[in-house]
Parts: sequence; structure tokens; C-alpha cells
Amino acid sequence: MSAVEKLAATSPEGVLLDLSAVLILLLAFACLGSKLFNRYVAYYGAQSVVLSFAAAVAAWTFHSVELWILAVLTLAVKGIGIPLATRRLLLRRLPLARDTAISTGLSTSLIAGGALTAFAYLVTRPQLLPHGVVAAAVVPLSTAVILLGALAMVVRRHTVAQLIGWLIVENGVFLGAITLVATFPFIVEAGIFLDIAAGVLIMLVFVSGITRELAEASAAELRELRG
Amino acid sequence: MTALAILIVIGPLAGPAAAALRARARAAGGASAAGAVVSLVAAIALLAAQVHRAPLTGWAGFLYVDALSGFFLLTVAGVTLLAAVGSVAYLSAEEDAGTLSAFQVRLYFIFFGLFASLMLASLETGNLGLLFVLVEASTLASAALVGLEGKARSLEAAWKYVIISSLGVTIALAGTLFLFYAASALPLTSNERLTWPYLIMHAAALAPQPLRLAFLLAVVGYGTKVGLAPMHTWLPDAHAEAPSPASAMLSAALLNTGMYAIIRFLAITQARLGTTFPHAVLLTFGFASIVIGVLFMVRRGNFKRLFAYSSVEHMGIIAVALGFGGVLGLYGALLQTLNHAIAKAVLFLGSGDVALRYKTREAPEVRGLLAAVPVTGGALLLGSLAVLGSPPFGLFLSELTIVRAGFAGASPVLPLLLLALLAVAFIAFARTTAGMVTGQAPAPPPAYTGRAARWAAAIPLAAGLVALLVLGLWIPAGLNTAILHSMAVIR
Repeated sequence: MSAVEKLAATSPEGVLLDLSAVLILLLAFACLGSKLFNRYVAYYGAQSVVLSFAAAVAAWTFHSVELWILAVLTLAVKGIGIPLATRRLLLRRLPLARDTAISTGLSTSLIAGGALTAFAYLVTRPQLLPHGVVAAAVVPLSTAVILLGALAMVVRRHTVAQLIGWLIVENGVFLGAITLVATFPFIVEAGIFLDIAAGVLIMLVFVSGITRELAEASAAELRELRG
Repeated sequence: MTALAILIVIGPLAGPAAAALRARARAAGGASAAGAVVSLVAAIALLAAQVHRAPLTGWAGFLYVDALSGFFLLTVAGVTLLAAVGSVAYLSAEEDAGTLSAFQVRLYFIFFGLFASLMLASLETGNLGLLFVLVEASTLASAALVGLEGKARSLEAAWKYVIISSLGVTIALAGTLFLFYAASALPLTSNERLTWPYLIMHAAALAPQPLRLAFLLAVVGYGTKVGLAPMHTWLPDAHAEAPSPASAMLSAALLNTGMYAIIRFLAITQARLGTTFPHAVLLTFGFASIVIGVLFMVRRGNFKRLFAYSSVEHMGIIAVALGFGGVLGLYGALLQTLNHAIAKAVLFLGSGDVALRYKTREAPEVRGLLAAVPVTGGALLLGSLAVLGSPPFGLFLSELTIVRAGFAGASPVLPLLLLALLAVAFIAFARTTAGMVTGQAPAPPPAYTGRAARWAAAIPLAAGLVALLVLGLWIPAGLNTAILHSMAVIR
């Protein structure tokens, strides 16, 4: 019996996992419907905390030490580390408050998000998965989270917003990974974590560099045009 | 054998080690080049020893080297050597001119070595999850190279590169996930369900629907790294803004690593679903890339962007060759990979010399290269002819093979379209480079100080052109065997 089949959708653990997945989707929607950088980061942090809870539920069900470690890592890196670093190193220093570089209205992007969620159900549910296992509910949800993250990256042109969009996509993939394939080899999962942490670090460097360079460039322009 | 495989990966780390010891450009570059020599020799030895034997496996499939990996290792290690020698010249010139600080030079060699090492490692693993991890890590290392100069333009290019590639590779991870799921009915441990040789062995028992999705997601995801249209948008910016030896690495090594990942997925998908579906996918993305590449080559402007769009075109050609399939298609695809890698390394390294001398990357501002700087001008002219598929260079042979593979198929429309696009590419590309090398213009001040730097700039150009010429006239028996064995892995 494979690990996925043990996790029936009707068991308490299954219900908890389903609930977490729904919460994660809602938080992705919340991020899509917001205009403040602070909120993006807060919603992403909350989403990661829920994700780490989902990982803990899976770990408890499968009695897997590796999944426990992953749950703790998720909480530490994605739930606390990345939001903290983003706030300290970017939002406060640069000062960023309101995102003005959104190419569609908020309602339009929310409607598009709804359509993408429906699409995710359409493509993943019927053919792919056996019914009655929790994965059957979580896979379309995680697909929807991936698509919503990608949508956020498309409609938002600000670098910080795109960074958060990518992290939401990553969370979506991870949600699929812990439930669909609870037993992804640990070295691989740990490597993915290392990549994300290093990726965020290097992206933060680029973002602050770009913002600084652009600020200098526009100031230089102002000086040249004067007089 | 395992020792050789480890040596290949460790070799390029000599550069970072030297840079960490606060070496200057010349010494750190020398260490990088020496490390690359070690890698290349080990890659050749491994390929020679491995080709007639069973694949090298170890560490529960995390290490897996068969003929296909061996062939790509050879390509990437060769390009790394050319680029490392070119780096000695380019970086010491930048250091002497004060364009880059000593710290930036050290950073360059650290990330250059990491980038090469991670790419080589990703070619040696049989675990598709680890493949993702290493490919993403190599993206990050190379993004640091793209943004090295720290100017607004290079930072923007680096940002665009890192965000688009990371998203792309994450999509590939989703594809890997679905492949893992497709294997859930197999009597394998979770580790084996991600390990390529087990998957191909049990391909017949994979669930078809998730596998279909997995292949599509993998092509889109890793295709972002390969630069297949419409996911290519990061490519011209990153190639134009990176220091030239790093551009050579991106174009000639990184794109091939992405293609290698796609080939691994192709082999599994083909074994379960037959060739119709994967070939249609590859032909679609391939032709889209060739068309986009050719269209953007028509514009005259930044010559590094021109070379970058030519890479998009060539990756498209390789995808089309895989899509044509059959003995000729696969042979052509692999030969084209090697030839294109060498030719593009020569072109980007040559473009570095030009950019250093003329202080510009705009083609219309450069004239009379052949008269003013015969070595670079000659290399650029011959390299252009080679990359456009003129005889007697290697790409003529490989492109001819690919077109023949197309005519072996059902309809002559696709190969005819390919020929037409190649002709347009020739005109568009040659129009710009011919303008750069011909004419008379005063010679700008020399780019390099000292004999060592001048040799380091000239040697990779000459070595690359000689290799291309040899490959055009005669395919060494060992290489032929290696390609044939690699094809056996895919079919």
C-alpha cells in the first residue's frame, strides 16, 4: 500500500490537510487582492506557516522524521526567515509601501485568479487521480496556487511583488510534494530548500541594487535637466 | 571510475579556491584554466573508459554516468576550458583598466567555478530531483555572473534572468513531481521512483496521463533554461550584459545542460507513450524558437544580442532534430550540440575582445576588424561562417544530417521550412558580422597588456576554430562511438 493511499480523505489527518490546502489557496488570493508590500509579505509568511503545519500533519501520519525536519525547516526559513529578511532588508530600507506597478485592476486579477482555479480543477481532477485519497483534493488546490503565483508575477511589474509571486509558486509545488508524494527523497527536499534560501538571498541583493541604481539614475536626470 | 567522476566536478573549483586566497585575475584565471584542463581530461578518460561498459552508478543512483552524460560532460568541460582561458585575458584586462574592482574579479572567479562545477554535477546525477536542485543552483551562480558589473542594465538583466529561470525550473520541478506520481504504482522505493535508470527500466508500467503532463511541464520548465521560445526572453539580456567569457558559458554550456534534462524526460516519455506526442511538442517549441531567433537576428544592433538570438535559433534546431527523431535526427542533434557549443564559445570570446577594444557592444560602431585586429576579426568571421553552417565547418555536417532526418519523415514541408529559415538566418547574421569585419578603420588601442593575456585571448579562438574544422572534415572514431552509444540511451 503506497503512502498516498494510507491518507484517506475522510480521516482526521486528511481533513486537516484538505483544510490547510484551502487556507493556502485563500492566502494566495489575499496576496493577489492586495496592494501593499507589507501585506504581500505577511500573507506569504502566513501561507508558509500553514504549509509547515500541513507538513507536520503529513509527518505525524507517516511517522516520518524527514517530514518533521521539513516542517521545521519550512517554518524557520519560509515562515520566519524570508519574511523577516524581506522586511528588514527591502521594505524598510528602500522605503516601499504601496505597489503602483500593477497592470490590471485588483478585481480583474481576482476574477482571473478564480478562472485559473477552475481551470486547475478541470485539468487535474478527473483523469489523473484516484478518488477518496486526500491527494485528489490537494493536487488541484496546489495547481491553483502555482497558477495564482504565476498570475501575480505576470500582472505585477515591481521586483518585490514578482519575488513574492515566485515564492507562492514554490509553496504550491511544495504543497503538492508533501501530500501527493509524501516520500520525496530527503536529500532532494533539503537541496530544494537550500536553493530557495540562496535564491531569495541573491534576489534581495539584485532588488536592492536595482532600486538604488534607478534612484541614482533618476536623481542624475533631475540634475541634468535643471537650469 | 567514481574518482574520475568526482574529479570532473571538483576540477573547476580550483578557480574559486584561488580567488578565496585573494589571487588577482591572472593567477585566479590560471587556476581556473588548470582546473578546467583536469575536468576535460577526466571527462575524456571517463567517456573512453565508460562507453563500452555498463553505466557508472553509485550512491543509490545519485551518481549515474552513461554515454549520454559522458557526451554532455565532454561538451561542457570543453567549453569551460575555452571560457576559463578566455577569462584570464578578459578579467585581467578589466582589472587593469579599473572597470572591475579586485573584489568583483574575485567574485567572478568564485561564481565561474561554482557555475561550471554545478553544471558538470547536474550531468552526472541519475536522480531527477537532484538534477532540479543542481540546475537551479547553477542558475543562481550564473545570475551572479550576469549581474557582476553592478550597473543598472546588468542588474536588470540578472534580475530578469534569475526570476524567469527560477520560475521555469520550478515548473520543471512540478513536472518531476508528476513523473514521480506516474511511477507510484511501481514496486520501487521512493528514491528509485526519481532515479532515471529505474524509471526507464519500468517505463512500460508508468501511468500515461501524469507522464504526459510531466513531459510537457519538463519541456516548458527546462525549456526556459534552454531558451526555447516563448520562454527565451531572459536570454538576450543576460547574454548581452554578462562579461563575455560568462556569456560563452551561458550559451555553450548552460543551454546544453537544460537540453540534456529535456532529453532525459524525452527518453522516458518515448518509452511509454511512443514518439508522436513528444515529437510534436519538441517540433512546436523548436520551430517557434527558430522563427523567433531568426526574426530578431534581422535587426542590427548589439552584436552580443545577435549571438544570443542565434543561440535561441540553434537550440530550436536541436529541438527540431530531436523532434524529427530516428537515427539521423538524434545523431544530428548531438553533433549539433557539440558543434554549436564550440562555435558559440569562439564567437562570444571574440566579442569580448571587440567589446574591450572598442568600448561598445553596438555592431554599427565597429568597422574594419579584419584589418585592424586580424586575429579577433578573423576568428569572428570564421566563427560566424561556422555557426551559420557553411562548409567545411562542423555545423554544416550536423545541420545537413538534421535536414536529411526531416526528409526521412512523412512530409517534406518541415525540413523545407527549416532550410528556408536557415537561409534567412544566414543573411541576417552575416549582414551584421560582415559589416563589422570589413572596411577600413583606425585600429583602437590594444585591449590586453602583456604577452600572456594576448595569448590567453587568442588560444581559445584558434583552438575552437581548429576543433570546428576537424569536426567538419572528419568525425573521430571515438566521438562517433560515443554519439552512437548516447543515441542508444535515448531510443
